[in-house]
Amino acid sequence: MQAHVNRQYRVSPYLAFFLIYKTQFGVGVLGFQRYISKASGHDAWIAVILSGLIIHLLLWMMYQILNKEQNDLISIHQTVFGKWIGNLLSFLFILQVFISGTTVLRTFIEVIQVWVFPLFKTWPFALVFLTSAYYIVSNGFRTVAGVCYFGSIIPLILIPTFLAPLEFANFRNLLPVMDHSITDLIKSVEEMTFTILGFELLLLYYPYFIEPEKSQKWTHYGNLFTTLIYAGVAIVTFAYYGEDHLQVEIWPTLTMWKVIKLPVLERIEYVAISAWTIIILPNICTAFWAASRGVKRIFQITQRSALLILLAGSFIITCLLNNRMQIDHLNSFVSMIGIYLLYAYIPILFIIYHIRHKMRKRS
Amino acid sequence: MIIRREGVTGIRRPRKNKQETAEPPSTWAEPFWERGDFTHTHHANATHPYWITHITSLVDTEVLHRDILPYLNKLSFPTLQEVESVLPIEEKEITDDPEKIKDLLLRGYVWIRFSDRVLEGVLARAELDKSRAVSIPQEEFSVVGPKESFVESLTTNLNMVRKRLPIKELQLQELTVGTYSKTKVAVLYIDGVANEENVNTVLQRIKAIKFYQILDSSYISQLITDNSNSIFPQMLDTERPERVAAVLAEGSIVIMVDGSPHALIAPTTLVEFFSAFEDYFINWQMASFFRIVRLFSVLFSILITPIYVAVVTYHYALIPTDLMVTLVTSRSIVPFPPILEAMILELTIELLREAGARLPTKVGQTIGIVGGIVIGTASVQAGLTSNVLLIFVALAALASFTTPVYRMGNAIRLLRFPFLLFAQLWGLIGVAIAFIFVMGHLLRLTSLGRPYLEPIYPLRLKDLRDSFIRLPFNTQSHCPAYLQTQDKQRFTPPWRQKPRDIDE
Repeated sequence: MQAHVNRQYRVSPYLAFFLIYKTQFGVGVLGFQRYISKASGHDAWIAVILSGLIIHLLLWMMYQILNKEQNDLISIHQTVFGKWIGNLLSFLFILQVFISGTTVLRTFIEVIQVWVFPLFKTWPFALVFLTSAYYIVSNGFRTVAGVCYFGSIIPLILIPTFLAPLEFANFRNLLPVMDHSITDLIKSVEEMTFTILGFELLLLYYPYFIEPEKSQKWTHYGNLFTTLIYAGVAIVTFAYYGEDHLQVEIWPTLTMWKVIKLPVLERIEYVAISAWTIIILPNICTAFWAASRGVKRIFQITQRSALLILLAGSFIITCLLNNRMQIDHLNSFVSMIGIYLLYAYIPILFIIYHIRHKMRKRS
Repeated sequence: MIIRREGVTGIRRPRKNKQETAEPPSTWAEPFWERGDFTHTHHANATHPYWITHITSLVDTEVLHRDILPYLNKLSFPTLQEVESVLPIEEKEITDDPEKIKDLLLRGYVWIRFSDRVLEGVLARAELDKSRAVSIPQEEFSVVGPKESFVESLTTNLNMVRKRLPIKELQLQELTVGTYSKTKVAVLYIDGVANEENVNTVLQRIKAIKFYQILDSSYISQLITDNSNSIFPQMLDTERPERVAAVLAEGSIVIMVDGSPHALIAPTTLVEFFSAFEDYFINWQMASFFRIVRLFSVLFSILITPIYVAVVTYHYALIPTDLMVTLVTSRSIVPFPPILEAMILELTIELLREAGARLPTKVGQTIGIVGGIVIGTASVQAGLTSNVLLIFVALAALASFTTPVYRMGNAIRLLRFPFLLFAQLWGLIGVAIAFIFVMGHLLRLTSLGRPYLEPIYPLRLKDLRDSFIRLPFNTQSHCPAYLQTQDKQRFTPPWRQKPRDIDE
């Protein structure tokens, strides 16, 4: 089955920048520093850059497949592995997308519960938030891309706030550079995975660009921008916190904001958490858009009903998780799947696809 | 002269009118319509006696007495062709089709016959087209620039537009809409500039209207708009002829309705609603500054009371200590929670606005003063509301009036209430949630199928030159991209020309 997309539903290639950047930049920014510094301490910023480079490579691999096939992952799976195995793999991929979307929502609700409202109930917020996701996703990919666009532009005003902690920063914390082994760095790169997951959705929305080939450079720019922001935040964090101090901070970014004082505004982290609602909306919308689109392509049901089922499922899962341990487990679970998906599955798919492609050409 | 007063006019009782249309034509030879203002006169004193039939309330008596009767009295041959040739009126014809006769009589034509036993006669136009004089724009007032505004007559309005665009490419399609009102609707566009797809969409949608009465252009806008459930207007209405001329030249389509002093502009974008036409009369730095002020005042107007409610209810830690003192002193005697306080004040402002709008100007002003000063001060002194909130609400109301388009101002004022409720529910996070819904809604909206948020999304850098800021005229060399015009470039921009060297 061809994933033909009508031209009126397609978007311009430059939006790939925002789609990639926005799906990578999410709730992870609030607390990724602790995870990555567990293994490699103050050298973890190198791991951020390394993972950025790896993703550039993975993006290139994805484009090598997508440009040849001019179609989405579900069709690629079907041509490479046949209908049944292909659909099974696609289903697993969609499951991963769905679970990571749900994790983002639950983690964000946890942030609200810890930082803003201790007695905040999970279900009303999840219900309202998923309703807004339905409202946006049900209007198609153009609107989802639009939300990504605004979700990237509006929070840019928060970037200067990352500079404020520099007043108390000590850049000697970063020295000596490279006093951790390569294995430690690789462990940090693994920890970084959950934070920068999201770009793999490109495999599903690729056919939605007007001239899909032209989107490649924009995805690379998007990834570069994400890497720079993460690296910048990581450096500021490591300069601001001592290495031991960082290990006891679950959300170092939020704690850093506490130092900012404006004449009309103290405790800027409240504003930032509210703004984060707008930041994570695109992540959830893209995840559910991609998941529902995949379900539609595999099971031949309408995307609207697929979306409703997925949102209902996500709502139930979100409500069932109610403590820090469970959320942490879910995060590490998603992170683990992410590692296999990125660092093993995409290169394997790349190799198998090219072998099959050559064989087909010969015959 | 035979005038019989029975019943009321056909226009007031359209149902009966419909029944009469079905009458067999044979009875038409008789004076067919016995109505109060229907006249059927025999002029026996003329050289060749003739009959004149018309509806007095629709016919301009001056035209009848000056341009019709003298010529008929001096006729040399009693033929209809002769009548048609001597009358100094452009629109006239000979017909015996009863339907047509009836239709033209109802549009202010005079029916001239030599015998009341036959149907065939000359129909000459003597329509009474009375409307108020062209006056100063009331809604879109401007300090500098032209001071003409549209009136209720389509002819006058079209004249004002044509005068500003004397080119043959200006096309006009006239349609009749409304089963009872038979309103004339004119669709204007410039051939070769406007996108044909847009023109066809507009014509199609207007033709598809099934409604009994069109009394104003806002009826049309509500009936053909993309999403009629949205509080945001998706068609721009204006009362300024120069704005119409300007958007026509850009490639927009303008809809004008007889009896309405407002023209509709489509397609349009959200940003257009925040640009006053006066921005083009002042230099670009000023215009850009005012536009940015307007943008911020809109944000302020929507967000300030919800933020106040959110912060005072939940996030008082946000407020620095010094400011806290001021707030606490102001709020200490108020017995209500912030949301109730805010709702009371917001509704008071709405009350004042509505009362001011419904009353005659002079009384309205008094109400404004009474409301603004007396009620405001009294409620603070009585301890019902706090000073700080009173300032915020008054400023927010003022800010909402900076929107140049009245309909948009209304939308903004209404938008504040869902924000307030969400702020009470979840504080600042609630405000963010409300914002998400508005953003999602705006992203879904279209105007004639074109994205409503353009040039912000989809991002079109060229169109940003005339959106939040207005760059000088020599940079506005292209038609806006969202209109998808046929002829894109209006003139060669100066940076394409060779720059002049020093002292040469």
